[in-house]
Amino acid sequence: MRTARIAFAIARKDLVSEWRSREMVPALAQFVVLALVIANFGFQIDAKSAPSIAPGVLWLALVFAGIVAFGRAFTSEREQNTLEAVMMTGAPPSAVFAGKAIGAAAVLIVCEAVLLPALTLFFGTPLSPGLVVAVVLATVGMSALGCVFAAMVAQMRARELLLPLLVIPLWIPFIVAGGQAVQVAMGANGTIDEALRLLLVLDILFVVLTSLAARFVLDD
Amino acid sequence: MSAIVAEGISHWFGSEPALDSVDLVVERGDHVAVLGENGAGKTTLLRILATALRPSAGRLEIMGLDALKERARLRTRMAFVAHTPGLYPALTAEENLAFHCSLRGVDRARIPEVLGMAGLANVAQRRVSELSRGMQQRLAIARAVLHEPLLMILDEPDASLDAEGADLLAEVLKNRTAVIATHNQALATRLCPRTLTLRKGRVLGAGSRLRIVQ
Repeated sequence: MRTARIAFAIARKDLVSEWRSREMVPALAQFVVLALVIANFGFQIDAKSAPSIAPGVLWLALVFAGIVAFGRAFTSEREQNTLEAVMMTGAPPSAVFAGKAIGAAAVLIVCEAVLLPALTLFFGTPLSPGLVVAVVLATVGMSALGCVFAAMVAQMRARELLLPLLVIPLWIPFIVAGGQAVQVAMGANGTIDEALRLLLVLDILFVVLTSLAARFVLDD
Repeated sequence: MSAIVAEGISHWFGSEPALDSVDLVVERGDHVAVLGENGAGKTTLLRILATALRPSAGRLEIMGLDALKERARLRTRMAFVAHTPGLYPALTAEENLAFHCSLRGVDRARIPEVLGMAGLANVAQRRVSELSRGMQQRLAIARAVLHEPLLMILDEPDASLDAEGADLLAEVLKNRTAVIATHNQALATRLCPRTLTLRKGRVLGAGSRLRIVQ
């Protein structure tokens, strides 16, 4: 109960701060739309090629938007020395980590709300419930991993370089399963359930592992 | 039982020693000023006492608990005012305190009380980014007493505070144990009966107010 209260308070604080400063969401939303526009002009897109190109474009845009969102989540806390003030309250590190991950995931989900309709517009990807669930499930696991590594590198000088180097290889399973979900949504063989099940298993695995690692990353 | 018992506290940043075998005993209700020039190790010592930093060597007991093993428990009974206020600029003064009430499980009814004590009642709804540095420091001090801590560790709390700031600190420290790092000799003399002077990470001397006056 205490953990949930603290996580909620941290996520709420991050979202209120973002709402007032509007630092990230407008820039990230613009970025994902620009990525689609570039892909639209860069590739020869027709009904035949779209199903094989769209998943790659979607996940590339999401991966790079995620890197920025998760990196910012901890960098601003370290810069303002606010994370230490939070840790000095005796709040459990796993709760602090969960709150930061929920806040960053919510920012990314807002970007996805722009990205998915844009994908439909440029690539004709049907906006099915299965696809939306797949993207949200992938966001959960990616947030957990992204935030733990963002916390780890936040104090380092080369953090902008290190974060993608550390986290993108670990995001590959999400990209593979998420890409499969997009292809199925665009008419490829197979069912979306298989991809969703894999994403759920990955979410559980990485949320548990990163929560256990939070103590060592945030407080030691 | 002493509030703080530190024995042989040492800390290195890489191969650079920041603290070298510092001993300190602080009795309950006592106020100790930690003095020393820049780089003497004051902040490192205070961060260790506040459990924000693990010492490389030494034993630290705070309020009867092993400070290296019982950090979470200790943090609920003590407060640390760091050199920088650590506030969220996009939130108002009141929202910053409300956030910390949520983290500490403190009733939000405390907020008007501590804002009034810090002289910030009239700026409660202003964003921290709109407050002066001195007001931000007052807010950080107000935040530190939300949960009625028994022990306060303050790292240059007078930085950016005006003359009335010393009165606020005196009010805050009343009936509490405190360790304060400061460059302000007058403040140290006024608030702290005991002093500990550091130089290059070593204790240069410890004394009472009488000795400083002499």
